[in-house]
Amino acid sequence: MLLPLLTAATLLLRPSLAVFADEAWSVDYHFALLGEPRESTTFFHQPNPALKASLIYTLSEEGALGAVNPRDGSLVWRQPLQENSYSHNASFLRTGEGRDVVVSGIGNEIASWSADNGRLVWNVRTEGELRDVEILELSNGKETAGAKDAVALSAGPRPAVRRIDGATGAVKWEHMLDGSDEPYQVSASSTHIYAILLHKTMLGYLKLRVVSLDPVTGTKMDEYTLSSENELATADTIVSVGANSASPIIAWTDAAHSTLKVNVIGTKSIASFNIEKHGEETVERVRLHAPYHVNSLSHFLVHYETATSHWAEVYHIDAKNGKVAKAYSLPKLPGKGAFSTSTSDANVYFTRITRDELSTLSSASHGVLGRWPIGPLGVAGGVGEVIEPVHAVSEVSVKGDAVSAIRTVFLLSTGDWVLLRGGNAIWNRPEMLASTIAATFAAPAKIEALAEQLQAEAHSNPVSAYAHRLTRHLSELQRLPAFLVTLPQTLVKGLLGTSEDDVASDSFGFHQIITCATRSGRVLALDAGKPDRVLWNRQVADLKPDQSWQPRLSSPKPGVVTISSNAATGIQYNITDGEQIITTLPEDVEADAAAPRAVQYTMTNGALEAKVDSNTAWHFAPAQGEYIHSLIPRPVNDPVASIGKVLGDRRVLYKYLDPNLALLVTVKNSSSIASFYVLNTVSGAIIHTNTHTGIDITAPIASIVSENWFAYTFTVEAADDSPKGNHLVMGELFESLVPNDRGPLTGKSNYSSLETGTEPFTLTHTYQIPETISKLSVTRTRQGITSRQLLAVLPDSHALVGIPYPMLDPRRPVARDPTKEEQMEGLVRYSPVLDFDPKWYLSHQREVVGIKDVVTNPALIESTSLVFAYGLDVFGTKLSPSFSFDILGKDFNKLQMLATVAALAVLTFVVAPLVTRKQVDQRWKFM
Amino acid sequence: MTTQVTVPPPQWLVDMTSTSTALTKPKANIVDPPGFTTLQSKQKSSKTAAAPARKQPTPEEMDTLKLKKAWELAIAPAKQLPMNAIGMYMTGNSLQIFSIMMVFMLFKGPITAMFSIQSTFQRLETDSNRGQMLLVKAAFVGCNFLALALGIWKVNGMGLLPTTRSDWLAWEAARDPLERAYYVPS
Repeated sequence: MLLPLLTAATLLLRPSLAVFADEAWSVDYHFALLGEPRESTTFFHQPNPALKASLIYTLSEEGALGAVNPRDGSLVWRQPLQENSYSHNASFLRTGEGRDVVVSGIGNEIASWSADNGRLVWNVRTEGELRDVEILELSNGKETAGAKDAVALSAGPRPAVRRIDGATGAVKWEHMLDGSDEPYQVSASSTHIYAILLHKTMLGYLKLRVVSLDPVTGTKMDEYTLSSENELATADTIVSVGANSASPIIAWTDAAHSTLKVNVIGTKSIASFNIEKHGEETVERVRLHAPYHVNSLSHFLVHYETATSHWAEVYHIDAKNGKVAKAYSLPKLPGKGAFSTSTSDANVYFTRITRDELSTLSSASHGVLGRWPIGPLGVAGGVGEVIEPVHAVSEVSVKGDAVSAIRTVFLLSTGDWVLLRGGNAIWNRPEMLASTIAATFAAPAKIEALAEQLQAEAHSNPVSAYAHRLTRHLSELQRLPAFLVTLPQTLVKGLLGTSEDDVASDSFGFHQIITCATRSGRVLALDAGKPDRVLWNRQVADLKPDQSWQPRLSSPKPGVVTISSNAATGIQYNITDGEQIITTLPEDVEADAAAPRAVQYTMTNGALEAKVDSNTAWHFAPAQGEYIHSLIPRPVNDPVASIGKVLGDRRVLYKYLDPNLALLVTVKNSSSIASFYVLNTVSGAIIHTNTHTGIDITAPIASIVSENWFAYTFTVEAADDSPKGNHLVMGELFESLVPNDRGPLTGKSNYSSLETGTEPFTLTHTYQIPETISKLSVTRTRQGITSRQLLAVLPDSHALVGIPYPMLDPRRPVARDPTKEEQMEGLVRYSPVLDFDPKWYLSHQREVVGIKDVVTNPALIESTSLVFAYGLDVFGTKLSPSFSFDILGKDFNKLQMLATVAALAVLTFVVAPLVTRKQVDQRWKFM
Repeated sequence: MTTQVTVPPPQWLVDMTSTSTALTKPKANIVDPPGFTTLQSKQKSSKTAAAPARKQPTPEEMDTLKLKKAWELAIAPAKQLPMNAIGMYMTGNSLQIFSIMMVFMLFKGPITAMFSIQSTFQRLETDSNRGQMLLVKAAFVGCNFLALALGIWKVNGMGLLPTTRSDWLAWEAARDPLERAYYVPS
């Protein structure tokens, strides 16, 4: 009895509690991502040796270092080490056994981080780019008690090996490597430090030069060159250089992958093994998996891959004489596989992950210790795509002869990072989203179908429109039984506020599909209203490892997304399942949208060039020493509801609305000058220009054009009379500054920019803002009635902020209080410092790291704009800059309303007989 | 000293305490004070004495009287104007339920009055003063128009009249450019 009452009471209370906090975490979504992990920089490690709990550490492709809790996949801490690290191929992450720090190396910086909370312990910058970082497990032959030192190999003009104190980051010794050989890797055994350099022979082949150093003093002890017999053409075929093992090895193959050569570093003998061909296919890739621990057995596994299958061989190294011998081999299986190495005391275990099975075996014998079928991973792929494991790391606990527990975290070919406990998927992280380089919104086909039908009814004559509507309603009646069945459920959910509407039943347009193109050539789709799941994820472009693509996504019509890049133009995909739509006719988007005369302009050789029918229309070349920093055209689809601004006295200031506006930024490096030009891209005329001197050109310059206004931000260097600061300039273009005047073109319904050169009147205001803005965007609504918010990415505080347009209005009165009429317009007195109100932070408590771009799209209802920000993290939200005037908010208490209606009904029924009786009585009294 | 002499009450006391109607009969020799009428004489005079006292007005006099009354009616709306104007001024130009209701009443009064103009002046209109009555009606209409004008002034003050450019902005279209430019990424 008590329970239903309690539930009823909580139901009545719930919606009135903490509306803002409620909205804040339910309307927006955020993926705190690391990026696709690298095999060499991912491991399980116990941050606190006293506790058994371990975390997964990785330094990802995106240059983000972080720790992930293996229990639920949540991020424990994260350090974005490099904003744009993709150019750096080499990154290193090492840790010592039982240590509470992890040491990262990226670019030319080595840093030590507390494994527990990610705080910086020390960092060291090297002269040249880092080639390798290792931890010295043993020094002087015995395990060190305190902090373990790091050894770093750096390239550059003066390549060197340095030993860095593990506790302080001080350089203990430095050994300059002579010669012009390319440093490759560093490797440490218990007694020596080996630097491996690549020596280029006369014939263009590579030879491996090994320099052995004394770990204590850093003096050179020995040097020799391994005769690799013209096998090494490039460094790519070096399979592995081991480190931190009892016998570190170096292994390489020839270009055809026919033989595998293994050398135990420190000896000069090279063991050669023929790679057996399993079938006709050529071996495409050879990988080596060796334990990363000094005390473990010197066993390693070689993993061979062909296009369709993989197999592996396990080798043992005789510790005494350094002989390498094959122990056993693992059978060939179709598909790709991944192997992981884990150690327990001295024992080494290899875990093999195939498409459908996980198996663990000891390095000593080929007996399988444990085998688990892999359950459903819950990962979306493309249509008909087989999802393959790419690489994995495991944590194995062995009791006796069987594996008692195994946790494997592995990267899939789709870019998902999945943790398996046994064979069951516990969590997955969509890490491929971190490499998103382009994204767009697309409306699902179904919603727009209704809109089209309504439009058809609006445009036909009343009789046929009525018939059309009648037939539509009749056809909708067929869905009535199904609707009635779900009705109670919908009602309950609606009342409880837990309704999880999906794409099909979306009447507000919140469930638009976001398609993202990633750097690896994949395209994936998310539902903006329910983004916890990737809808589909398919490989669109086949890219070689060094190749990159610049995809452009657009949605020409509902239900369809077009992906074009430099290589391919406009391939269309169905947004609900990612199927390619085969179009017989190549669609020329430009020709479709073109007005009678279309000017096409493009950036060639650092200058802008516009053409009309292959004749040059105009040409914009920056001045000597300047270069074009960015060009932002006004968006093609930029609806404007009102062509003028209504003043307080109800007169009109007409906006200068020209779809052919663009904001061009040029920068002069030598004198740190940035110039901002508003161009008419038809005639090439400069409508407005502004030049700022003393600019920090290394800081980001963000700019945007929309409607009749433009905005840009930049950072100013400190001058004699002003400190260093960030400025935001807002400019607005008007046809005339005289109210009720439409300028010289009054009364004309169209105009040609080529024939009449009208110049707008520009008002600008500059604001001092507290932070650098790296990207500007603006909210967009369906008809442009709703007021706008300028969306700014704050890279330093990892936030996204939405600045209301009225705060930036260039018509804010300067040095005087607004008049009564200006007050009626909502103008406030201009103040040069614009502080970001905490309420403007769209990301509120979330830390949104590495945002590169923000895309916005109107929802079906006018009040709302959908926002999607991508970069390293992915963040999305719904925005109502003029508040949600056309939809009931969450604070609307449906239960209260229903209770009121019910109470009134009851009251009516109760009171009605009383009133009738009284009326009758009254009549009797008077008669 | 001790003998009691019964003195009869004075006549005025008797007259005053006595309720008999016989006593109210006027003394022949005393003239009634001005304005005093006995009950009988009052009853009589209403029946007989007053009628011959007031002379039946002539139709001409009647017409003048009716005309006077009609003018009074016609000017009445104008007399209310200052009062209304003050009321309107006091309510302010904001759109609130109170001021909206007042403005509504302001419009409703003159309009209903103008529609019922015939019934208003019907009993004052005769065949002979019809010509003059036209002038009176015109004055009535004019006064009501003045009241309406006050209402319009008020509505304008509230900003409800589409008299400014911004009211017609929605019907103005943006100029179409004859050319369009497209950025083609290189």
